[in-house]
Amino acid sequence: MNFTGMILLVDDEAHIRKFVALILKQLGSPIIVEASNGEEAIEVYRREDPDLVLMDVSMPRMDGIETLKALKAIDPDCAVIMLTSIVNRETIEQALEAGALNYIRKDVPKEEIAKSLAETIDATFDLG
Amino acid sequence: MIAVARKIQLRWVGASAHNRTVMDSPSTTPLPSLQGRRILVVDDDRLNIRILGGILRPEGYVLAEADTGERALEVLAEFKPHLVLLDVMMPGIDGFETCRRIKATYGEASPPVIFITAKTEADDVVEGLEVGAVDYLPKPFKPKEVKARIRSHLQNQYLSEQQQLLVEQLSKANAAKNRFLGMAAHDLRNPLASIRGLAEFLSDGVVGPLNPDQLDLIKTILEASQSMLTMVNELLDVATIESGELKLNLGTADLGKLAAECVSMINMEAAKKETHIVLETPGDPVELTIDAAKMKQVVDNLLSNAVKFSPPGSAIKAIVATTPAGKKCSFSVRDQGPGIPDDERDKLFKDFGRLSIKPTGGEKSTGLGLAICRKIVDAHRGVISAENLPAGGCEFRVTLPSLP
Repeated sequence: MNFTGMILLVDDEAHIRKFVALILKQLGSPIIVEASNGEEAIEVYRREDPDLVLMDVSMPRMDGIETLKALKAIDPDCAVIMLTSIVNRETIEQALEAGALNYIRKDVPKEEIAKSLAETIDATFDLG
Repeated sequence: MIAVARKIQLRWVGASAHNRTVMDSPSTTPLPSLQGRRILVVDDDRLNIRILGGILRPEGYVLAEADTGERALEVLAEFKPHLVLLDVMMPGIDGFETCRRIKATYGEASPPVIFITAKTEADDVVEGLEVGAVDYLPKPFKPKEVKARIRSHLQNQYLSEQQQLLVEQLSKANAAKNRFLGMAAHDLRNPLASIRGLAEFLSDGVVGPLNPDQLDLIKTILEASQSMLTMVNELLDVATIESGELKLNLGTADLGKLAAECVSMINMEAAKKETHIVLETPGDPVELTIDAAKMKQVVDNLLSNAVKFSPPGSAIKAIVATTPAGKKCSFSVRDQGPGIPDDERDKLFKDFGRLSIKPTGGEKSTGLGLAICRKIVDAHRGVISAENLPAGGCEFRVTLPSLP
């Protein structure tokens, strides 16, 4: 992966954050900040101003789409890629409509996640 | 002492209860109570309505009346009868037409219709039955006959009503089960995927070197989480498919290429058993309109089953072919396993239809794989079949239409 900016990783499940963070580190992404829910994501976004947000779609209370809308309201240019487990087309369409750039499946083998993370992130920033 | 006395008493009570059941048994199934069942009597002759009322009211039925077919249709909508007694000859629309309209409006939910015929003319009876009546009552009425016929039809109606109710309840319960299954599998899946992924990081040595004992433990965690993940995925697939959420994401794909990818993946696993899959394709692309990801699941499943059930060191043949006219394409796998026992054939493509034959390398099976395959192939309007080969082993074949 050629992307070297700061990534905000949002997922309510700590094991997923740990897992995805390990993959990102292996891909060479040095700066990762984390949030475990929507409110925290907004707070961290305001404080750290990351270059990219990787965010889970389904989270309790404030879900990924709501959070995405809130982030877009704060910063219309913020780059968000959704993390999903089972592909639910409707949810993905909703997310894309709300301004997400793309989505990545997190419930596939490690190599596949790594591959799609690298490709999608580089393509998003035109670094490929 | 007390305990013994109680025990004797209990036995005695039980024995007496048993005797009572036996003594009560002459009337086999208890009749459902038909009290309060609603009957609509349609006749332009007031006298007939009064006679039928005199026969039927003492039985505990609730009656409504109408003097024309048109009026009958109005009353029917309000009164919702369990049975309709319908005169044939009436001013306005006749009984047959009234019956047709009832059937056209209410379809399966129509109450049973019995015709009242002045003369037991065969033509009338036949036409009555043709328009959907269940029976006819000849005039003049014989009270005993009227009571008996009506009771039996009401009873039938009651039973089919109960049956429908049960079917509805069961399908609701089944839908709830599927939702639960889906939820449980979904919530189990993410943590499992992380366990597997994190174990993979450890075994790769990314986070530091491990000694051989540690590595061995991590490999065990990796394998166990992988096999659990496969099972959970299959459960989830069944739940999704059963709840009617199987949506095909159709696109053009080359079946030969798809099969080749699957074969090379599965061959890596198969190498552990020194088994090898050889793929034959027609050379030219076999382009189909399919959901490639789902079809890949079917092909993967058939291939891994073949590896699972063939003895170590087997040679498995996979074939992609088209019919000469190019109307159909097929994918088949020939294994070297024990074949399918004849008496278990019907279980093969059913949910949890695990057979008595066992994987040869201690692999796991949920008994869901082939059920999922069948559902995916069905959704593609294809056919999946299995046949024991004369020379031993078994052939699984998926046939797909070129144009769905």
